[in-house]
Amino acid sequence: MSIQLTDIVKSFKTDRVLDSLSLGVSRGETLVLFGPSGAGKTVLLRLIAGVIDPDEGRIVINGVDMEGVEPEERGIGMAFQNFALFPHMDAHANIASPLTARRRTRADIEDRVNEVAELLKIRHVLGHKPKELSNGQKQRTALGRALAAEPSILLLDDPLRNVDAKLRFEMRLELPRLLKAQEATVIYVTQDYKEAMALGDRIAVMGAHGIAQVGTPEDIYLTPADTTIARLFGDPAINLLDVVPEQGGGGPEIQLSGARMPLDTAYAGVVGRPCILGIRPETIRFTEAGAPGVIPVEIEAETPLNEKTVTLAATRAGREILISRPAGTPGPDRGTAHIAIDPSGALLFDQATGKRIHPGESA
Amino acid sequence: MSDAAASLPKRRGFRISRRWLPYVLSLPALLACIGILIPFFTAVAYSLQRYRLSQPWAHKWNWGENYWNFLSDSSFWNTLQVSLTYAFLTVGLELMFGLGIALLLQKRTRFNNFVSIMLLMPLMTAPALASLMWKLMTNPGFGILSYFASLIGFEDFRWASDPSTAMLTVVLVDIWVYTPFIMILLLAGLRSLPQQPFEAAALDGVPRLFVFWRITLPMLTPFLLTATLFRVIESIQQFDIIYAMTQGGPGDRLTVFQVEAYLNFFQSTNVGRSAALLMILWAITYVLSSIFIKNWLKLREKQRGEA
Amino acid sequence: MEHTSTLERVLRAIAITLVILFFIFPIFWIVLMSFQTNETILRVPPSIVFEPTLQNYQALITGELDTAAGKLEFDFMSNLFNSFYLSTASVALGLILGIPAAYAFGRLKFRGSEDIAFTLLSFRFAPPLLVLLPLTIYFQKLGLADTYFGLIWVYQLIVLPLILWIVRGYFEDIPADIEYAYRIAGHGFWATFFKIALPLAMPGIAAAGLLAFIFAWNNFIFALVLASADKQPVTVGALAFVTASGIQYGQIAAGIVLSILPTLGLALYAQRYLVEGLSLGAVKG
Repeated sequence: MSIQLTDIVKSFKTDRVLDSLSLGVSRGETLVLFGPSGAGKTVLLRLIAGVIDPDEGRIVINGVDMEGVEPEERGIGMAFQNFALFPHMDAHANIASPLTARRRTRADIEDRVNEVAELLKIRHVLGHKPKELSNGQKQRTALGRALAAEPSILLLDDPLRNVDAKLRFEMRLELPRLLKAQEATVIYVTQDYKEAMALGDRIAVMGAHGIAQVGTPEDIYLTPADTTIARLFGDPAINLLDVVPEQGGGGPEIQLSGARMPLDTAYAGVVGRPCILGIRPETIRFTEAGAPGVIPVEIEAETPLNEKTVTLAATRAGREILISRPAGTPGPDRGTAHIAIDPSGALLFDQATGKRIHPGESA
Repeated sequence: MSDAAASLPKRRGFRISRRWLPYVLSLPALLACIGILIPFFTAVAYSLQRYRLSQPWAHKWNWGENYWNFLSDSSFWNTLQVSLTYAFLTVGLELMFGLGIALLLQKRTRFNNFVSIMLLMPLMTAPALASLMWKLMTNPGFGILSYFASLIGFEDFRWASDPSTAMLTVVLVDIWVYTPFIMILLLAGLRSLPQQPFEAAALDGVPRLFVFWRITLPMLTPFLLTATLFRVIESIQQFDIIYAMTQGGPGDRLTVFQVEAYLNFFQSTNVGRSAALLMILWAITYVLSSIFIKNWLKLREKQRGEA
Repeated sequence: MEHTSTLERVLRAIAITLVILFFIFPIFWIVLMSFQTNETILRVPPSIVFEPTLQNYQALITGELDTAAGKLEFDFMSNLFNSFYLSTASVALGLILGIPAAYAFGRLKFRGSEDIAFTLLSFRFAPPLLVLLPLTIYFQKLGLADTYFGLIWVYQLIVLPLILWIVRGYFEDIPADIEYAYRIAGHGFWATFFKIALPLAMPGIAAAGLLAFIFAWNNFIFALVLASADKQPVTVGALAFVTASGIQYGQIAAGIVLSILPTLGLALYAQRYLVEGLSLGAVKG
């Protein structure tokens, strides 16, 4: 483990932001901290950086306990959400600051700053003060400053938050390559699930009470720990329907508008228990009437997005369902239609707690 | 340790733990002030003693006697009355003029800004020196103000040397020095007010006097309060202007607290009475200043929030 | 607001003229006086037409005054020097003591910091004589009575709260992330303080220093009580000078002009700092 946090507690006044949080990040890994604002993501980064101290718990970086180790001794690179550029220094001096701290020679510094600036395409503005830079240039300068000394640990606090949509899109494509090239251990904070999915080797989802789930992007997407996480990942959002599974002929099954949807036999324990059925919009497809398990729906609206088309439809019982299909593929845009659900991708959650029910779990 | 951390130079010199750092940083300032706190407690002790520099042998504790004597001491009541009159007159008039001038200069024009900067000059003049200036101007022989007074029928107007006009004269000097302070504060306040209520009132054709009483004044209240308290605290302690002008005279006409205490100490060498007088003044200012500080902090927070 | 009547504009103009007249005329008149001989000063009625002379300033600078009673030695220039020395040294000491404390109060926020800051501010509002009178006795005992150092120390009573409160506000306004970023980049606490916090708070430090200088210069009561004749600043010196020179009004006026010139000059030169400083940072001008 490159970074190991154990039982971290941090309060501000009476507000307990982090409660007994533990988390490990391996060497070279990119871990995304994902969650709503106020979940303590930024606080966690600051604790690792050492600018604030935890009330309790241990922070170990590269095998060294960080208690009493000042931020300047930790050898970390960090980019801030609001950039936090030094307003009285030009971009060059900003990027050079970790190098001057390390007493590099003048020529060394010059080379490295130019190299980083080249990489981030900001060589032409190195002589500018932060207030003369555009937001995108500020963001790249801040990133350049974090990367300059080639730190083994990089903390990136939502660096794309305050840049415009176009640049965010570009950087989202560019950053993974950049981060891989660094061979650094990265903790990346974001509130944007696409960014999380695109950048993270693993994602730690933070909720109101610390870390709610840690896993690879696929894990989180395919097997979210609860309905909240299920809803956070995916656009259009997952369909969540209140159901009570029944005992069918071949095992447990769910009745949806008259159609029977068989469940994996491993879900035998949930029969008769109030559940929430989670269905990703892209696992639903339009089909012809008459096939087995087909549900008739009334199309309410269709929204073409760039790469997909989202349809809002209602079942006879009045439940609204979102259906997503790749753009350009044919599909009905009004009137009555029929849909088929791929049961293998279906998720079940407990209605009372919202927690996901694992196959094989008993009632 | 990581490579990057390894390349960081080792910290040199002494290191202070994070917990103690703020105390270490503020210690020199605190020590400098503690040196000043000691005489404060000494003054408290003196106020409870019979202590005359001319009679060192009779230096002893008399507990509340200095204070007790004030009750039947007409010169104490005179001091209290003169101090309060002075504070009331100066602050009241300065508020009126300050507000009036601020309203006159409210618009951000080049001319108005220039005038408001010029008006800073009296405020930057040492009050003691301002008194000397006015002393020259009110000189019965050649003073320009005496000349003006004679032009409008006041032959032989004696300003500060006449018991009936001494107060008027020092109040005039105080107004000259300190009105700009109130003006500057209120001007900044006026210019920071949100514009919407005024625009709405203008659109509706609300009479301007009504706008002033119902919108401007209420919105300006925190600034007025801050300025008032600040000035009352300073004014009730006024020494420079009065001492430089008349040294408390004529007679005991202008013996405000600090002047009376000064004369008691250096002329009558009555340290005990002097200290007791100052303690009473301190009690008054302490109450006023704790109200002021709270108020002012609130105003500061608000201004920061909006900035 | 836009449709102002002619009558109103006339009234406004009159009001502003009166205001300027009242506040500027005394300074103007004293300056005129300082260039006049006693003969022209004593003319009735007074007139602004006269033959200007520099003899008043000359007398002050050489320290030899002509009085009715003959030649008088009066070293007014040393008073001016004392004012410069006391104010500059007080502000310098105040900045050295006050800036780190202001940083501690504004940025580090420690247990009891608000209470201590409050106490320090309330010094500003306590009657100065309360502290000064016992100090005269202590200064005699400690041998500080006749020293610049004693005065400079006591001047901290004026200078320090001002610096603390103004500069503290500026430190508070620096985003903490900027300082964090510098630390994380590998710079120590002191490097961050000197390279980031200090430069970014410089406008506040300038405002505080300037205002503290003016307040120290203009102070009267501290020096009146504690300063011996050879350490007196101009505020006290001018008063003694009035008594000494008797009826040499031109020289008195010249003395006053020389004494108020430095603060007025500073104020006009750096007026943009003043408004904020005067309101202790409460109102951003």
